[in-house]
Amino acid sequence: MIINVYSLSIMFSVFFLLLVIELVRKNKLQERYSLLWILMSIILLVLSSTPVIIETVSRWLDIKNPPSLLFLFGLGYLILYNLGTTVTVSKQSERITRLTQELALLRQKITEKDS
Amino acid sequence: MKILVIIPAYNEEATIKNVIQRISLKMPQADVLVVNDGSKDNTSLEAKRTGAKVIDLPYNLGIGGAMQTGYIYAKENNYDIAVQVDGDGQHDPSYIKDLIEPIISNSADVVVGSRYISKTNYKSSVFRRMGMIFFSFLVSILTNQKFKDTTSGFRAVNKDVINYFSNHYPVDYPEVDVLVRLKKRNFRIAELPVEMHERQGGKSSITTFRSLYYMFKVSLALIIGTLRSSEE
Repeated sequence: MIINVYSLSIMFSVFFLLLVIELVRKNKLQERYSLLWILMSIILLVLSSTPVIIETVSRWLDIKNPPSLLFLFGLGYLILYNLGTTVTVSKQSERITRLTQELALLRQKITEKDS
Repeated sequence: MKILVIIPAYNEEATIKNVIQRISLKMPQADVLVVNDGSKDNTSLEAKRTGAKVIDLPYNLGIGGAMQTGYIYAKENNYDIAVQVDGDGQHDPSYIKDLIEPIISNSADVVVGSRYISKTNYKSSVFRRMGMIFFSFLVSILTNQKFKDTTSGFRAVNKDVINYFSNHYPVDYPEVDVLVRLKKRNFRIAELPVEMHERQGGKSSITTFRSLYYMFKVSLALIIGTLRSSEE
């Protein structure tokens, strides 16, 4: 087996896919958050095992070095995924704030009743 | 008319007692609620000693989250008017009756006690003043209404606004942001001249260091806010 960007990329995608599945199996990652990671590793696996795809696309886009398309894909995916994560964080922090408020209001009500 | 005075307080043990007592003296018909926003000092204890209602937040939510807690309380307990007053003694409680007057007569939904109209002996740093002028300018453009003091936290609101606030209240530096949101929903906002004192203790949450970041963040929030669809 020749070590080049494609074979490295294949190994990485397989390793990553197994890692994601293992995390879900151990309940350390929820299924709904794992779907997009699994999708990414499968796309990466396909792209790196059939170089003809990215070579063709590279020709269309006038990219001199086809493997850089792999990086572009990876980078774009990560940026979008990260945006999605901050959306999730925003939603959660809003919910945590609400929970905190409800909790404080309840505690006030209880101490008022006691006294 | 049930009136609630909401005091958001973060580390105000030096002044809180005095503030509550002055409010009770000027507004004996109103209930006083202190929202202790995770203070590290004895704010909660000092406030409870005066007999005021106190809500203790388990950690510091920030002024937006703390204020909203007060508004949720006002809604759940069916108050007709809510007045927000700072815990540091800047706001003179004798003006509360002036603030709620336009609400009782139903000529405004929100009344802001402004330190810039006519009589005032309030002095602030040049830098802070510039920021305030900038926000007045920005908010006046965005809302089509002249505002002199957009950062004042001395305000009174009616029941409709209490309802609205208990569902939607901006998280960071809410005073400015809220004006634009309210105006967009066609609430009537009035400004009233009040005298403000130098803060009697504690520290302002807005330091010079943070001012620029603050201005940038709020401006961005305001501009994006005007693009926001009519709610959430």
